[in-house]
Parts: sequence; structure tokens; C-alpha cells
Amino acid sequence: MGRTPDLKRKRPISNSNSPSLTDSERVLYDLIKSKQDMGIWTRDMKRETNLQDHVVTKSLKSLQAKKLIKEVVNVQNKLKKHYLAVEFEPSKELTGGAWYVEGNLDTEFIKQLKELCSRHVFKMKVATTDGITESIRRSGVINVECTTQQIAEILRVLVLDNDIMEVRSTEVGEFASIPLGTVCYKCSGKGGPTGVSKTGAMVSIPCGVCPRISECTPDGIISPRTCLYFTKWLDF
Amino acid sequence: MVAQYGIKLAVSIISSHFGDLVAKVCECLLRKGTLSLGDLVRYNQLQSNQVKNCLLVLIQHNCVQAFSVQKDGAFGEAPKVVTQYTVLFGNILHRLRFSKFMAIVSKEFDKECEELLEALLQHGRLTLEQILQRAQSISKQNDWSNAVQDALRESFVKLVNARYVERCPDPEPFMAPPDEEDAPKRSAKAAKLAKKTAQTLEQRAVAAAVPLESKRFAIMIDTGTDVGGEETPSQSLGEKRKYRELEMDRETMVNISEKEVLWRANFEAFIRRLRHKACVVNVRARLDDGAGTVLNAMLEATKKAESKVKTENSVPLSMDTILEEVMKSEEGRTMTLERVRGALSQLGCHSSTRVAEDSYSVDLRSIIESAQNEEVESIIMKRYGGDAYRIFRLLSKTDRLVETDNISDTTFVEKKETVKILYNLWKENFLHMERITSHGSKQSEFLLWKVNKNSVWENTFDEMCHAALNLSQRMAYELEKEHEILQLPREKRVGQRFERIRKVKTLLESSLMKLDDGLMLFHDF
Ligand code: SF4
Repeated sequence: MGRTPDLKRKRPISNSNSPSLTDSERVLYDLIKSKQDMGIWTRDMKRETNLQDHVVTKSLKSLQAKKLIKEVVNVQNKLKKHYLAVEFEPSKELTGGAWYVEGNLDTEFIKQLKELCSRHVFKMKVATTDGITESIRRSGVINVECTTQQIAEILRVLVLDNDIMEVRSTEVGEFASIPLGTVCYKCSGKGGPTGVSKTGAMVSIPCGVCPRISECTPDGIISPRTCLYFTKWLDF
Repeated sequence: MVAQYGIKLAVSIISSHFGDLVAKVCECLLRKGTLSLGDLVRYNQLQSNQVKNCLLVLIQHNCVQAFSVQKDGAFGEAPKVVTQYTVLFGNILHRLRFSKFMAIVSKEFDKECEELLEALLQHGRLTLEQILQRAQSISKQNDWSNAVQDALRESFVKLVNARYVERCPDPEPFMAPPDEEDAPKRSAKAAKLAKKTAQTLEQRAVAAAVPLESKRFAIMIDTGTDVGGEETPSQSLGEKRKYRELEMDRETMVNISEKEVLWRANFEAFIRRLRHKACVVNVRARLDDGAGTVLNAMLEATKKAESKVKTENSVPLSMDTILEEVMKSEEGRTMTLERVRGALSQLGCHSSTRVAEDSYSVDLRSIIESAQNEEVESIIMKRYGGDAYRIFRLLSKTDRLVETDNISDTTFVEKKETVKILYNLWKENFLHMERITSHGSKQSEFLLWKVNKNSVWENTFDEMCHAALNLSQRMAYELEKEHEILQLPREKRVGQRFERIRKVKTLLESSLMKLDDGLMLFHDF
């Protein structure tokens, strides 16, 4: 799936040898560096170098102090300590991609962006991804740069949330200024987010959302006659 | 095969309307499928007479259709014709919605029509003569002059013309065995396909029982004198004579016709109307009022032209006709041409789906599908929350297998949480899962997920039946509990307890009606 290309991924600087490395530090450093943006887990280092635990721990500390390597969180498993040569930005597999900060989904940022996007869609009535991105950029409310790709991902989630809907321009009426067939977004029907779903037939009665429905039988221990959910619902 | 709770609901309806004995026979048919009288007697350990009476009740109320087939005789005996009984599950559930049928007629016609329909719904099948009598007793009018009777007859004709009332089906069509030798040899694939689309014997029997379209809604008996009454040259002499005789005595003919032809409510026509309404309601909520108004006008204008319940597309109409129809309705009067055009495009009537130049038709099937999706999604939302809702919608829209990480990335749900949600949804049969093990440098396992619509829809329908059953049982329980105060004379029915039971009844009833809309959505539309 398409993600934003990682920001400013540096190319390794060749042979920036630091003279003051011990043998074990050198071995470890070369290994870590050879793993490029994937980095390597401490346990794997030990296996691959055959160095003793305490030697590895000490060398890693010293390499970190010399600003040659850095520790990163692995989004797949936060307990696995990964090390990377400082020249590299961690790969998408490690970080989880543009929406992750230190191995955690940046929910706060996502929430803000979602609100921002729905506000803009609401204001613009009908808009394309580019139009929305442009409008957000111009408004200058967020200080980080957002790519069109990121906005597109946010819009897709808003569609899945049923906050906005995806339509294709028909060049008629509200679409007059948008070329035929272009994907556009507009606010979904009345009631805003999930407005439609609140009126579902099943969810407006206790049984529709009941966790015990599979155990509930007419003459069983759990039955509609004795059901407390009903009693509460019918408490006038 | 009908779902578990579908059967239970149907049996409870029959039991509350016709008693336990009839319900027992009905349940046997629902569970075991088509049976003969002998089978029914054996399975239920009842007397043949009892079973016969139960079947008569069920047939009278259009819940069972009989048909006959030829069975090979025992060794050395000639083949014999056996009568089979098949239960009509859909028609049993229709009993829940009689009030909706009445509401349709009361809105479109007058009080007389409503009374006529009520008589038919109450009694299942009646001759015109009987209908008139029942309607009289329902309306409790003392005035029973010829004028009143004529007015009722007129109402009856209106109902038949609107197709809300039809002649009863053939009581027992004979189903010839399929000639296997005749069928050309087909490839295995084609045969499989044919099997999939082929109707069951029961479906064929029900279809065969329906009178021909021309006869189904013909008021007079079949002599050709009905509309225009022109003689066709091919009529034989005998027929001609018969025809003449009848012509001579029109009075007698009317009499025969009133006394012998059985009529019933045409459930199909009502369900078709309710389907239209459901489409309009959905479009109003999902798109806007304008689109709803236009769709309503289009369906209103073509309601007589549809003959199936589950039509894919609305009958094509020209822009002029649509405009004219829209203007007829109150909310449509203010709509401009531009607005109507916009609404049509919202409804998906683009030039590409136009049937012919300047002719518009709406994809009703897809509206029904959205309504079904919404119902299921709302259940997911309420039971599992927003993240699950998003994940489910992603899978339901994608309609193919998607890998866990991919789902997590697209929906912005943490990986671990995603796995948990997917697993829960899978456990409750909302999702289908496939495991794939790849043997690359590291052996790893991937989980792929998908919404299997058919099975999810079936489960939803079954759960709805369960919920409907629960609602009606709770209702029975509440009424039974307050039995005493409900027995009181009207003026004494006051106080808190009475207030409560009144509210309880209203809430339970309206919820059941709403749930019944859901049942139709998944079963009939
Ligand atoms: S009757 Fe009560 S226990 Fe049974 S399914 Fe409904 S809400 Fe759940």
C-alpha cells in the first residue's frame, strides 16, 4: 500500500570511520550498519557476532555515546530493542509508516486531521482530494506539511466512518466545475456521522445488541420473559 | 432451507392465530419440507382427520400449497398420483404485516376498500358474496340496501384493478415429472449452473398454481364476456353455445361468479409497494429529500407496470413524464428541472445507465443493498464500536480477501487492536478467515479476511427472527401480567399501572413493526 515516502532518508556516508573503536565495537557497528534502515535486534546481534552478553551491552552503550548508532522502537514488537546506524531513518516496517510516532499510532494527529478534513468537506460541499489538500494548506491551521497522499488516506477513513461519501462527478449541478468521473467527496446524508445507523431496526431494541442472544431461548434460564434488559427498557 | 429462528417465529405466529394443533402440523412441514398427508399423520401421530383439518386451515389462509405428483407404484403396480403439501414460509411472516397492507389501502382508497381487505385478511379466501357479507359485519352498518352493496362491489373492483386482490391459485396443480431424456446433454459446468438457477419442485408448483395474468385479475368468470366480450373465430361450436347461454343469463353468471370464484389478498402487490416505500425512505436518509421525492414520483407512476417483487430496475420513464409526476406531489411542486436532473444523477441515472435516449430508470436492487448494508453495519457499530464499524465497512466494500496489516493501515487501527476486532467479528460469523503460510527466509503466517455477504445476511435474518420472537413473547408476558386491569371496563382503566402497560404495548408494537421492516428487507425485497 502506498505510504508517504519517508521524509529525508539519508544515504549512508561511506567510510566515516571513527578511529577510536574497540574491536568488539567495530564488529557490532559494521553489523548494525550493514542492516541499513532495517536495523537489528540485540538478540540477533549476539547470535551473529558470538559476543558475550555483557560485551554487547557495553559496546552498544559506548557506540550510542559516540553518536554512531541509535535505538528505535519496533512497531511489531515494542519489547524488541532495535539499533540503527545514525545515518539511517528507520524503515516503514519498523516505524509502521508515516502515521506512527515511536511505534504508536499517532491517534491525536489523525484525529485532528480527520476533523480538519471533514470541516473542509462540509464547507466546500463537494470537493476533490486535491481541492481539499489545497484548502487545508491555504488555511494554515496545521504546522506540519501534509502530502496529498496523506489527505487521501484520511479521506478514505472518513468514508469508512460514513462521515463523508465518495461520489463521482457527473458534471451536473453541484459538480459543474469538476471534470466528469473525478472522485469527489461530500458530506453523507442527514444526521452527520453514523446518523443513519442509529435508526437501524435491530439496534433500537435490546435483543439487537444483546451479548446473550445466542443463549436466550423461550423457556431457558435466559428468556424474554425474565430478561432484565427488557425490564430496564420497559421501565416507564 | 429456512433458518432456525425463522421456523420458530413462523410457528409462534401460527400458534397464536390458529392454535397449537395447526402450529404442530405447520412446524412439521417447515422442518421436514414437502410431505404427503400420510407422512404428516405418521410424523405427528395425529389422526388423519385432525391433520386434514389443520391443512384446510393453513390452505384457507394461504400458508400451504398443495400439488400432486406421480409416484412410481410398488413392484407390479401402476404409478399413482400423490398429493403433496408445501408450506409457504413467506406468507406466514406476511401475517405480521397485515396492518401495513391495510394502511396502504386506506391511504390509496376509501373506507369501504379497507373493510373489504380486512375481511379477506381475516378469512384468507372468500367468494365475493362472502366478502360482502363479512364487510357488512365488520362495518356494523344496519343499512344494507342495494346501493350500499353496489358501492362495496365497486370498491371490490377497485381493489382488483389495483391488483391488491387476486383470484386464488389452483388448489392442486399437477406437476409432471421432468423428462430427462428430452434434456440435451450438457457440460458439467452448464449443468451445475442450471442446477443453481433451476427452481425447486415446490417453487415450480407455486408458480404453476398462479392463474394466468389475464384470469388472475378478471372479475367475471372466464367466458370472454368480461372485457369487450368479443368472440374469437377459433371458438368451437360447443364453447359458443356455452358462451351464448351465459350471455343470455348475465344475472346467473354474476351469481355463479360471486358464489364460486375464490379471492384473496395479493401479498405480492403489497410487498412490492412496501419495497418501493423502503427504497424511498432509504434514499431520503442517504441522499436527500429531493432524490426521495423524485424516486417516489417515478415509482408511483409505474406501480402498475411491475409484475415481480424483486425488480432490479424501476420502469424506464422519460424526463417529461418524470417531471409531470414530480409536480403532482406536494413536495415536488417547488422543484425545478435543474433540481430534478440533479436528483436523477444522485440516484445514479447517468447517461450510461439510460435504457434509451431520454429515458431514466433507477437501480432499485442497489438501493435495497445499501439498506441491507446499513442495517448490518449499525449492528456492528453498536455491538463492537467505531473501529470495528470502519473495519467491517472496509471489508464489505472491498469484497475480497484482505490481509491483517493492510486492514490496520487503511483503517488507522493499531495492529494488535485490529487483530482483536477481526477475531471477534470472525467468532460471531461476521467474517470469513483464511490462513496463508509463506515459506520465505522466515516462515510466517498471514491472516486474510473477507465479509461473506450471503452468510452474514442469513445470520442477520435469523437473529432478527429471534428478536421478533422475543418481542412478541415479552408482549404476551406483559399483557398476561396485567391481565386483570386490562379486563376492567374502559372508564376504570386509569392510573399508573394502566399508563405503564399502555406505553409498554405501544413501544413493543412499534418496535415489532420496525423490526418487521427489517425482516422484509432481508427476506422479501
Ligand atoms: S430477550 Fe433479553 S436476553 Fe434475550 S436476546 Fe433479548 S435482550 Fe438478550
